[in-house]
Amino acid sequence: MIIDRKDLIDTISSFKKKGFSYLVKILGIDYIDYISVLYILRNLDSDEEIEIEVHLNQNDLWVPTIINIFKGADWYERELYEMFGIEIKGRKVRKLLLEKFSENIYPLRKSFKWGTK
Amino acid sequence: MSLVKINIGPVHPSTHGLLRLVVTLDGDTIVNVEPHVGFLHRGVEKLAENRMYMQIPPFIEKCDYVAKTAMDEAYVATVEAAMGIEPNERAQYERVILLELQRIASHLLWLGAMLNDLGHFFSVFMWTFADRDKVLKLLEEATGQRMFYVNMRLGGLRQEFPKDFEYHVLDVLAYLEKRINEYESFIENSSLFKERMYKVGVLSRDDAINLGVSGPVLRASGVNFDVRKDKPYYVYKKLNFKPIVLYNGDNFSRYKVRILEIKESIRLIREAFKQMPDGNATGMPIKLINPAPKNKVVRVSREGPRGEIMFYLVADEQRPYRLAMRTPAFINLAALNHIAKGNKFANLFPIIGSLDLVMADVDK
Amino acid sequence: MIMKDFITAKQEFDKLVEESLKKYKPKVPVVFTKLSEVTKAITSNMITWSRKNSLWPLQFGLACCAMELLDFGASRIDAERKGFLVFRATPRQSDVMISAGWITKSMAPEVKRLYEQMSRPRYVVAYGECSVSGGPWYESYNIIEGIDQIVPVDVYVSGCPPRPESLFDALLKLQEKVGGKIDN
Repeated sequence: MIIDRKDLIDTISSFKKKGFSYLVKILGIDYIDYISVLYILRNLDSDEEIEIEVHLNQNDLWVPTIINIFKGADWYERELYEMFGIEIKGRKVRKLLLEKFSENIYPLRKSFKWGTK
Repeated sequence: MSLVKINIGPVHPSTHGLLRLVVTLDGDTIVNVEPHVGFLHRGVEKLAENRMYMQIPPFIEKCDYVAKTAMDEAYVATVEAAMGIEPNERAQYERVILLELQRIASHLLWLGAMLNDLGHFFSVFMWTFADRDKVLKLLEEATGQRMFYVNMRLGGLRQEFPKDFEYHVLDVLAYLEKRINEYESFIENSSLFKERMYKVGVLSRDDAINLGVSGPVLRASGVNFDVRKDKPYYVYKKLNFKPIVLYNGDNFSRYKVRILEIKESIRLIREAFKQMPDGNATGMPIKLINPAPKNKVVRVSREGPRGEIMFYLVADEQRPYRLAMRTPAFINLAALNHIAKGNKFANLFPIIGSLDLVMADVDK
Repeated sequence: MIMKDFITAKQEFDKLVEESLKKYKPKVPVVFTKLSEVTKAITSNMITWSRKNSLWPLQFGLACCAMELLDFGASRIDAERKGFLVFRATPRQSDVMISAGWITKSMAPEVKRLYEQMSRPRYVVAYGECSVSGGPWYESYNIIEGIDQIVPVDVYVSGCPPRPESLFDALLKLQEKVGGKIDN
């Protein structure tokens, strides 16, 4: 399901109360006009999974943090910041995998060609 | 009261790979553990957008270099789901046999490496390595390669099992059963082992679900979730598979779950050989593969020896548009800070050993 | 001025020695040397022989080729029978650095620091394709193409991963480079 960015925290809290209490992964995909961020949740009793999708424009890249709901979202958000350049509002984020890499270069965007060093 | 910061650097004989820890201590108890990772990052997700579908399996196999068939099979199953191909029944039985043999080999290496950390300086390591060598010889007979067998094709395997493979496997399994009982009896009788493993590094049930860990770490804390039972694939339903769950959440439960999983795998392989039908199990050669439909989205999860492996694929015609991987050791390491708070400093390395990390899994 | 006096004094001393040798012919041929040269001639062969037969490796397995290094030290292909006895954890007590695995930008300063801490004479073996030339990830944004851009290398072993028997062959060739013919 596709929702707006301002409803994100309310939707995820309501799903957690219904029983979807296990966070599988937070992904990012770069379609060239927009970047979409996916949250995959799973219900351990009935084995259902649900995908929540948010579309972001290229000028306006930020997402609110969900670390108060799921403690396991910490390292996923850090990886999202360093690979795509999406800011996380609400806490300070430090790079995870590319500590000695240069600033302002985000490898998983489509504008970064494979083969540049 | 003053706090001391200690650096456990990347090259260390006990960290099972390149992992840097900055530990904050108050006297002898741990206050905070902060892992710095990224010493093995090489950009597999970006590489997969520039290669064709059947050129990618060697790169995926090098992510988890201890249990290689598990990653390879998960990727090939994703591509099969995108193109709409299903393997026939004999190919499913053969894949299950290879996966369970790989699980036994991976757990034997974990046992040797963890007992190294506890103080057995390379003695039990040599015995489990000799046993693991026998299982690797079986896999070499079936696939032709010693390490990195790129053996899965779309719809089956690259080649059939050779003649008399069944009798060799059953001989090795009879020998392994006796050895596992020997290991259990002398390891658990030692009182030093019990003092260092009981009630050390406890992870409660609610925390395990909130943090998102998976695999034997999750099942040792009382959560009954296994991908082979809850989202069954291949023929695990016909083989009557039951997951193994323990309820304490400490180091000893994580050790015991893996020992019992080896015994369960031995039983599964024997059943699979009895039930296997006749037929042909070779898959399609590479030249005959059609292009995938555009913009199709597929998601597949499998159970590896370390936890849950998930692939998310957005398909283009000849190469993937986006391949996202969820590897098990990444999120198991993120839970280390939560587990190790409040323990003594000398107990840090058994806790890392019981989480079963492979560092190339963490830095994709 | 002082050097000139020293040189002329030495030449006069040599002349005195030659004249006295002509007068009193010794029964055995006599050579004048320093004591340090005598000991070097007797023991240099022995030192090279003992050094080449006990090269202790540094535990430096980074990635998948480390699995083959563990097999090399285990009981089927024994590394102890030719002298590679213990894998030391500190670089100050080891002779050979066997680098197995790919090198990234974060790891390159640590490799350089470990190489500088090893005491001479020291040797480096590049094991596996990733240390030789970057391996399958040669175009990546975080990889250094080969370890010989950082440290000087003596023996290259290619393969992905090479069998442990070929590592044995490479270490025998390194023994030949250290001191002459291979001892059987």
